[in-house]
Amino acid sequence: MRIRDAERLSKAIATLGNGSSLDRLVDRVYDLTDGSLALDRATLHRIARGKTQIARAIDSPEECIRLYFALMIVGCEEELSVSTVVEEGRAILASFIGDPLADLIFRDLERTLPKLSDRATLREYLKEGLRVWLPN
Amino acid sequence: MATELRLRGESHTLRSQEARLRGHLEHDLGVHIRFSPFDDVRALLVSPQTDDRGKSLVIASDASAAERIYLYVHVAAHLALGHHLPLVTIVEGAPGLSRLEDDAHAHRAAERLARAMWWENEGGLGAPTGVQRSAVLRGLVSRAPTRSALHGVLIALRAAYYDLRIERALAGSRLASWLRDALCVTAVVAAAPQLSD
Repeated sequence: MRIRDAERLSKAIATLGNGSSLDRLVDRVYDLTDGSLALDRATLHRIARGKTQIARAIDSPEECIRLYFALMIVGCEEELSVSTVVEEGRAILASFIGDPLADLIFRDLERTLPKLSDRATLREYLKEGLRVWLPN
Repeated sequence: MATELRLRGESHTLRSQEARLRGHLEHDLGVHIRFSPFDDVRALLVSPQTDDRGKSLVIASDASAAERIYLYVHVAAHLALGHHLPLVTIVEGAPGLSRLEDDAHAHRAAERLARAMWWENEGGLGAPTGVQRSAVLRGLVSRAPTRSALHGVLIALRAAYYDLRIERALAGSRLASWLRDALCVTAVVAAAPQLSD
């Protein structure tokens, strides 16, 4: 996938990771997506440093949305505020090219997020979204 | 999934009804159910793009069996009305919390259908059959004061039933069966008064 705003994506990953090492982020993304998103450390390093415009490891809209969900779950686990998780998650999605599924998910997020006021609920919503919308 | 449920001192009838309705949702409606701690949300239904794929219902882990029964019936009503498609997440808030205006109409429609499902056994999601058609019970649970009094009386009778060690003598009787079902219905309507008329 082509990255539209590499700098913003880099900032979003750094914020959601909350100081976590890239190794930990790679492992957590792998676990959260049940291995369906095999993002290697070198690729994440390049994306996180804003050093690339193309993310070859993320080669479909589904994978991009998986990364978006997984990094938002990481943000919840890092106990960031709901508004930060949502804002940075949106920046990640906006950094990639959208498609009809992404539009639908984004529309549901827009409708649903105002009703989810706490981090635990947001995390469960994101986990189920990953499982139901993007089954392996 | 069952290991995620908190054990509590609820009646066997209530728990078996909960298990029956949960099974109905899982096997007949394709809803995967699990439990998780929530602060101010009671349940989340996450749905796919089309109805032929699995849906996921996450329920607050502190929900009682009676509240879970209500949530199953209410969610089944949303599904029957197609409110979940395409890819619409349904959020059930705490009772009494104001809903977002966009949702209010859908939730009202689901409440009406849930009431019909519960009392008329539409879709196999009704109250226990022994008391389903009881106009007397339905009338008593429809008003808060009589519902509360009836609930108290039935709980006292249940305690006496076990304390006096007469359960063996009465276990198979129609009276005991009716009282068990009545306690189950009263507990569910007490947890969700919107199921009453």
